[in-house]
Amino acid sequence: MARGALALLQGLLVLALAPGVVGLVRWLKARLQNRRGAPAWQPYFELRKLFGKEVVVSENASWLFRAAPYVVFVSTAAAALLVPVLAVPLPIDAVGDLLVLVYLLLLGTVFLALAGLDPGSAFGGMGSSREMTVAALAEPTVALAIFALALSAGSTNLGQIVARTMSDPAAALSPGHLLAFAALFVVMLAETGRMPVDNPATHLELTMIHEAMVLEYSGRYLALIEWAAALKLLVFFALLGNLFVPWGVAMALTPATLFLALASLVGKLAVLALAVALLETRVAKLRLFRVPELLSASFVLALLAVTSSFLSR
Amino acid sequence: MSFALLLAPSLLSALLALAVRPYRAAVGWANAALSLVAVAGAITLWVRVLRGEVPVAGADDLLRADALSTLLALCVSGVAALAAWLGPGLGDDGWGARQARRFRIFANLFAFTMLFAVTTDNVGFMWVAIEATTITSAVRIPLHASQASVEASWKYVLIGSVGIALAFAGTVLAYFDFVTLIGREAVALNWTVLQDAAPALNPRVIRLAFVFILIGYGTKAGLAPMHTWLPDAHSEAPPALSAMMSGVLLAVALYAVIRWQAVVRVTVGRGFAEDVIVLLGVLSLAIGALSLVAQRSYKRLLAYSSIEHTGLICVGLALGPLGVFAAMLHLLNHSVAKSMMFLLAGRVLRRYGTAEIEGVSGLLRVMPWTGGFFAAGMLAVLGLPPFGMFVSEFALVRAGFAAGRPVLVALVLVLLAVGFVGVLVHLNRMLYGRPPAAVTLGESSRWALVPLGGCLAALVVRIVAIVAP
Amino acid sequence: MESLFGQLVVLESSLVLIFGLVLLWRRRVPAYVSAFTWQSLVLGAVAITVGWFGRERELYFIGGLLVLVKGVAIPRLLGRMERRFATERELAPYVNTATSLLVAGLLVLFGYAIMRPVVAASDLPTRAGMPLAMGLVLVSLFVVVSRKKALTQVVGFLMLENGIALLAILGTYGIPLIVELGVFLDALMGFLVMQIFVYRIHSTFETIDVDQLDRLRH
Repeated sequence: MARGALALLQGLLVLALAPGVVGLVRWLKARLQNRRGAPAWQPYFELRKLFGKEVVVSENASWLFRAAPYVVFVSTAAAALLVPVLAVPLPIDAVGDLLVLVYLLLLGTVFLALAGLDPGSAFGGMGSSREMTVAALAEPTVALAIFALALSAGSTNLGQIVARTMSDPAAALSPGHLLAFAALFVVMLAETGRMPVDNPATHLELTMIHEAMVLEYSGRYLALIEWAAALKLLVFFALLGNLFVPWGVAMALTPATLFLALASLVGKLAVLALAVALLETRVAKLRLFRVPELLSASFVLALLAVTSSFLSR
Repeated sequence: MSFALLLAPSLLSALLALAVRPYRAAVGWANAALSLVAVAGAITLWVRVLRGEVPVAGADDLLRADALSTLLALCVSGVAALAAWLGPGLGDDGWGARQARRFRIFANLFAFTMLFAVTTDNVGFMWVAIEATTITSAVRIPLHASQASVEASWKYVLIGSVGIALAFAGTVLAYFDFVTLIGREAVALNWTVLQDAAPALNPRVIRLAFVFILIGYGTKAGLAPMHTWLPDAHSEAPPALSAMMSGVLLAVALYAVIRWQAVVRVTVGRGFAEDVIVLLGVLSLAIGALSLVAQRSYKRLLAYSSIEHTGLICVGLALGPLGVFAAMLHLLNHSVAKSMMFLLAGRVLRRYGTAEIEGVSGLLRVMPWTGGFFAAGMLAVLGLPPFGMFVSEFALVRAGFAAGRPVLVALVLVLLAVGFVGVLVHLNRMLYGRPPAAVTLGESSRWALVPLGGCLAALVVRIVAIVAP
Repeated sequence: MESLFGQLVVLESSLVLIFGLVLLWRRRVPAYVSAFTWQSLVLGAVAITVGWFGRERELYFIGGLLVLVKGVAIPRLLGRMERRFATERELAPYVNTATSLLVAGLLVLFGYAIMRPVVAASDLPTRAGMPLAMGLVLVSLFVVVSRKKALTQVVGFLMLENGIALLAILGTYGIPLIVELGVFLDALMGFLVMQIFVYRIHSTFETIDVDQLDRLRH
């Protein structure tokens, strides 16, 4: 019972925290670029603004266009519920495993791509095709990278993976883990539309992927999609943080451990946000035809991770 | 002592050539004389082995000469002597002083590494020596830096080095197997020790190791499909160097394969090693024979013939003890015959100025002795009596039937026939007809023909010596 | 202690392999040279690690040699070569990058497959890294075959040798010292000869694109 309540609380926490993470990344990036930057809670104001605005829909759009933001948001939120954030094991873990996670994320991606195509605008189609190219290479890598961990844990259940790593600290340094971390990090950049794969702050035709797909959206639809994007970032951060460096995640449900879990979560998110901000500042965006090369490299890393985990069981 | 007699002369010659600049003909003569000393050393070892003893020298049995080693040592020192006597730098033959000096240095180092490879007991050192052969021979291929010769030598260096590295991987795997089963010893890399331990080694690991070793040393021996460097390198190199490379380097690489095969046969049992060797052997034979038909350059013709013979030797190795005997005989005969052929081809090249078959005609009229020897040598290489190759090929066929593989033998014979016809057509074109106008008649430096004639005689004598007992 | 040794060695071996993969991923020669340098340095570290845990004093020496020769001397020579031919970047190789990387992944898997009996036969704590060494050997072989620039082929060959050295270190804690020295000498000589030839190719052909080396046919 308590665990059920905790699961719900965890979900609300994640929903609430997501825009803040995006804001943090933006603020850190601004600081690194010697600007003052908007404060980290700016995205909340943006969301509130967007929810209040009128929705303008193209005449050529179908039901898909209106449904897509909801699908994307709900699927990403569901994925966020599955990720170990504060405590393991939780009752939702019964359905929460690796494959479900990957499929939920993929569902969101596919619907967003379709929604980009739906109104028939040039930018939307372009963005969708680029996004699918990236997704085609990135999704298998996500699966493989987490699978490498699952192999050593003996189960694809995310909670189990966390528990296993906690009980065997030396395993965290094994090459399987490290390779999987590297692969997942690269894929995170691709899936959440960060540099060097996609520039989240640009609206130039040459360089947009994610932004191109959502160009037609406005009002509450846009708010939902932006929120979903932030949730996706949080999901990946939580995966990177809690699967690979799980210390801090609560096993027992006492206030002390929960508080510690919250603090460690915020800490990990901050570190990862800093890493992403640093990367965005230092690295130039890759030309589009070079992106598959980068993703192939991360795929091979994930493959190596799986092989290495498999053979050193 | 015999080992010193064998190994020291080539090293000394190289040092001499290095030390003396500018180059003087005296260095060449000293080289030639020393090469005879090396041959004498090989003969003394041969005599000792025939008497039944196994000469060893050095710490941990570094140098060891058994029958196979001495046979090859004889081959190598003989061909090296030929190259020393007929190579650049002795008298007036159109080579510059610098090139002659460089040739003498590296050719002697080349000979030294080959001699060391066949007399050492340590597998690791054998590998080191064979790798060194690539290096020392490659440097001297482009004597004149033309595009063709640079291309040839690049291919040779790259493919040769990569192949040799793979052979080393195989050696490491075999060493690993030995160490895992028996433990680390300094002598673990010695043949004798490996052979004794062979029954106890892990067959699967040794199988993997042998594949690497065969591919690796096979690259140096010109086994298909790793042979692509061979026609280029052998045709672009100066004649004396081609003689050494085609004649004995292939033999040394095959020597390494033979040694390893002996170990593998005990560990893995009959069948595996033989199958793989036969496969590559037949492939080489096929590629060599078929390529002979469409050749345009007589030097490349000889090179493809070498590939063909390497394939033949490998097929022989797989046909049981009788086949191994035939293969080794063939190895010997081939090294003598091929070296002689390349040196003769060098003479033809110098006179006619072109390596194309089209450009050479009326050889018998222009240079009666050279042409005669060339024809005889070609017939020898094709396996006709009364030359030694006929005997070895015949023995191979007999071994094939004895081992119960008539289909294989039939295939081999068909391929040999194809090569035979191809070469004869080209030979015909070269020997007869009217000589081109620009070519002067008559032999130059007749005395150089003497050792070549000697080779031919040796091939004939072989028959008598072998058939008798 | 045992498992830490094993983990550490496998970690370093993975790094060695990954630096090898860089050769397929990046396109400019300076990246290749620095990848090779790092690879050799990590390889030296492997030798020293194994020497420390396995109590083999010779391996310290080998590690030092690796760092000196392959980590410092050869990269410096390579760098000089690269500056000479600085205007050229790796042209489109025979196999494009994404496919090359996938092929490399498959080759590593293949390496794992063929090394199964070897790993099974061994009982050293370093045995888990041996398939990675074999993977590097196969990937380097692929680099030599599929790249068009002579300099890249040379770097591929050097990495091949690194892979075999790694195999020797992991499988048998190094081969006898004398032989190892001979191997080193050979490698150095071989590299110098290759260097001479790359310069020759450049001066004769005006390019080091080996695709242009096609004067000799049949």
